Amino acid sequence: MHEVGIANGILEAVRKETEAHKPARAVKVGVRIGEMAGIDPQSLAFSFEVLVKGSDLEPLDLAIEPGVLDELEFAYLELEVP
Amino acid sequence: MTRVPMEGKVLNENDRAAAELRAEFARHGVFAVNLISSPGSGKTALLERTLESYDAGRRVAVLTGDIQTDADAARLARYGFPVRQITTAGACHLDARMIRRALDGWELAQIDLLFIENVGNLVCPTSYDLGEACKIVLLSVTEGEEKPLKYPGIFFKSELMLLTKIDLLPYVPFNIDVAEANARTIHPEIQIARLSCTTKQGLDEWLRWIDARKGGQ
Ligand SMILES: Nc1nc2c(ncn2[C@@H]2O[C@H](COP(=O)(O)OP(=O)(O)O)[C@@H](O)[C@H]2O)c(=O)[nH]1
Ligand SMILES: [Mg+2]
Repeated sequence: MHEVGIANGILEAVRKETEAHKPARAVKVGVRIGEMAGIDPQSLAFSFEVLVKGSDLEPLDLAIEPGVLDELEFAYLELEVP
Repeated sequence: MTRVPMEGKVLNENDRAAAELRAEFARHGVFAVNLISSPGSGKTALLERTLESYDAGRRVAVLTGDIQTDADAARLARYGFPVRQITTAGACHLDARMIRRALDGWELAQIDLLFIENVGNLVCPTSYDLGEACKIVLLSVTEGEEKPLKYPGIFFKSELMLLTKIDLLPYVPFNIDVAEANARTIHPEIQIARLSCTTKQGLDEWLRWIDARKGGQ
């Protein structure tokens, strides 16, 4: 169940990245995960949802795209400008 | 709505800490090995047999990870080499920062070979680089020959698969050739060795493998 830690890492990175695009707020983050990365996408999605709920980042979606082999990388961030 | 590209690895922080460790290991000539398997596949038994076979002058050290207890460190300390337990208090894997902390106070220049026994788990340790030179996965013959297909990540990332407890082959329906073929389906270049820590069959081959790999770095 290391997916909680991974989800936390994603949220941290989103916070940092969003900071650079003030005053926009993040609405969706895309990550690429390969089959050899040792990550269960469903378990990651679940952890992510739980962590976002009630946090400063809510509402924030996670989009998981298939990656190559052991890839575990950020792909994009969708921002909404108020 | 605007979409901006986002760069970098999700485990960027761990990767950075691991890269620092790797540089440090290189600087001091430490060959570090990350041993990964399910709980009970025989990681500690392998290290017991390994340490037992080394002469006192051998510059080897062990870090052993578990969620709770220092039982494994106690088993391994008997052989007289430096051994430290890392208890993760719940975490299902070791990460690079835990290794960094555990190495504190050890003179790395005095260590040539560092074994890291990861927390028993075939999934979580896969994603965490510890700065090691190579990952080795153990699969015991009581676990089923389909495991490389079910847990492909760790077999993909490991340089060597050790098939352990082969003394039990007469008692369990485990097709060792199928297990090897499954591992090669996931990772065609994976090296494979068979071993029993009870009868010591295959132990010499393992000891030679590690020396040869270390020599070649
Ligand atoms: N029959 C047999 N039992 C083994 C062998 N290696 C380990 N075991 C036993 O398997 C159990 C788990 O081994 P251990 O080294 O603690 O596994 P770890 O959790 O991966 O560190 C212990 O009871 C060992 O005595 C082996 O080669 N043959
Ligand atoms: Mg153990």
